Amino acid sequence: MDEIESATSTAVKKQKTRFNNTVILFIILAVMFALFSYIGRPFFFSRLNLIPMLNNLSFIGIVAAVLTMVMISGEIDFSVGGNIGLTACLTALLLERGLPGWLVVIIALCGGLLMGAFNGMLVTVVGVNSIMATIGTMFIWRGIGYTLSNGESILAMNPVIDFIGRGFIFRVIPFPIILLVVFFLLTYVIMNQSKWGRRIYAIGANPIASFLSGINVKRVKFINFLFCGFTASLGGLILTSLSAVGMPQHGQGLELVIVSSIILGGTALGGGKGQILGTLAGVLILSILYNFLTIMNIYYFYIQIVQGTVLILVVSTYEIRQAMARRRI
Amino acid sequence: MEKIERKYSAFMNFLRTPTPTLIGIYIVMLVLFTLASRNFLTIQNLKGIFNNFAVFGILSAGVTIVMIGGGFDLAIGSTAGLAGIVSAVLLMKGIEVPTPVVFLVAIAIGCSVGLINGLIITKVGINPIITTLGTLAVIRGVCYFWADLNPRILNVFIQNLGRIYVGNVFPITTIYIIAAFVILSLILKFTRFGRDLFTIGGNENLARLAGIHVDRIKIISYVISGFFCSIAGLILISQLGSGRPEYGTGAELEVLTIVVLGGVVVGGGKGNYLGVFIALVIIQTISNGMVLLDVPVYIRMVVKGALLVLVISIDALRNRKNLQLY
Repeated sequence: MDEIESATSTAVKKQKTRFNNTVILFIILAVMFALFSYIGRPFFFSRLNLIPMLNNLSFIGIVAAVLTMVMISGEIDFSVGGNIGLTACLTALLLERGLPGWLVVIIALCGGLLMGAFNGMLVTVVGVNSIMATIGTMFIWRGIGYTLSNGESILAMNPVIDFIGRGFIFRVIPFPIILLVVFFLLTYVIMNQSKWGRRIYAIGANPIASFLSGINVKRVKFINFLFCGFTASLGGLILTSLSAVGMPQHGQGLELVIVSSIILGGTALGGGKGQILGTLAGVLILSILYNFLTIMNIYYFYIQIVQGTVLILVVSTYEIRQAMARRRI
Repeated sequence: MEKIERKYSAFMNFLRTPTPTLIGIYIVMLVLFTLASRNFLTIQNLKGIFNNFAVFGILSAGVTIVMIGGGFDLAIGSTAGLAGIVSAVLLMKGIEVPTPVVFLVAIAIGCSVGLINGLIITKVGINPIITTLGTLAVIRGVCYFWADLNPRILNVFIQNLGRIYVGNVFPITTIYIIAAFVILSLILKFTRFGRDLFTIGGNENLARLAGIHVDRIKIISYVISGFFCSIAGLILISQLGSGRPEYGTGAELEVLTIVVLGGVVVGGGKGNYLGVFIALVIIQTISNGMVLLDVPVYIRMVVKGALLVLVISIDALRNRKNLQLY
């Protein structure tokens, strides 16, 4: 009886700390935002900077939200960047052929599903480690993107495509930001309110136990990868629309930013732990940081150094805290 | 496990490794490419193939050590690029540091990158792939500090380092690779370090319980990988005749494909250099064959990615112990 009570109390404590972590992240975010607005005045806190920044953040955010689900289930998908590049090229190429916009969107999203299915097959059916598998497919998607576009950028102008990235709803709210909010709501509800989300957490925490208690682990993982591919190609559509051009370099190096923001948000690399809201905070913090560095006129290559360092630092702090928690037990 | 292995002779054990399959694949490929292209089986072309794989060969020598120990190194391309561009800058007109110092600096860069990787991976305990993905980006960014200089290599010794042909036919770089592979094979086979590395790759916890200094040996393996990166960087600037910050980009994909195709198991514990060498020749022959057959450059990228996925899938299927249910 005592054991059960103590177990429940630690569980409650854990719930509280997890909640606190997210809150801390949001406080850090607010402080950073205020600081950057002050240092980077008058450029940082202006409509001309913030709206594009939010637009640019939107596709990173929606991919990160869904990738969080994949990572909580204990897998990872590095191929999202390549997926975005391929989708951008495919979209632009189909538009150039004169296909109607809505059809192009459907084809692009189906392409994303196919890519997700391929990743899912590799991981669940063949049994490849998802890190290795998706590093391989990352190169394949990007290579196909280069092949399709012959290495060039293709203009992508079409009313439907334009609307995805640059449209406004009620003439004020940019459409990508609506998409961002919708995706975060959707993933939040899935992860926190649905049976599906509970299953994902269970699989991440202990796949064998989940399998023994009757969860179809492979199916859950497969559908996660499908969802991830779908979202990445939606991100590709947004990026194509924002830049009005489809080029194979789209989304290059994005996996670095996305994975670091997810881990910054408190998701465990091994799965089983993580919060969608934490990911939102992580995405916002890193996007604001990189935007600020750009505004301060820092070379892209040096920003790359910062990105790599941030990834290592974030994961290090996470691992060190884990080790400390283990010692406490 | 031990009993089963003892039942077979050394030859049978060799047959059970993936190496014979690789030799078979290579022979089939040779025949196909010879039939498809007239220029394939000429001395000139074969010289080219063997000289071209110098950088990947040297890199895969280090990565094999890391992967046998259960680690992973994605930062090799960037590290080679950094060692290369720093050496090139040191050799620039007006600076012209003596050649041995350049070598020392390059090796120091490679080894310290390896040391940093190893320390982060073992002491902090981050997944090696994530760590080296981060250091890959950082080091590549550091390479761009010298982006504006565009140094050319005028030092004759460095020029010859990767370009000489012994007896006008046999590239000296191949000798480096063979020497490195033989020495490392001997180290793996006959030293305590080698045996410990295999033990760690097979089961890290067991190795720790058996009193092996797991962290130290893993760090050494990353330092060895960094050392070979710096040699590869020197060969890069020697063969290309200049120093550019983007040298070595994407090498990790190729090297990973070579090492896994060569039978080094992802996750560690298994692997030999003979397989890696044959895989090296195979991958380079495929690249060369695609050039001879006029395959467009971007499709080659797809083929290389597909090859990696295929190779790791085969690796996964081969090492699947029982039916995976979850």
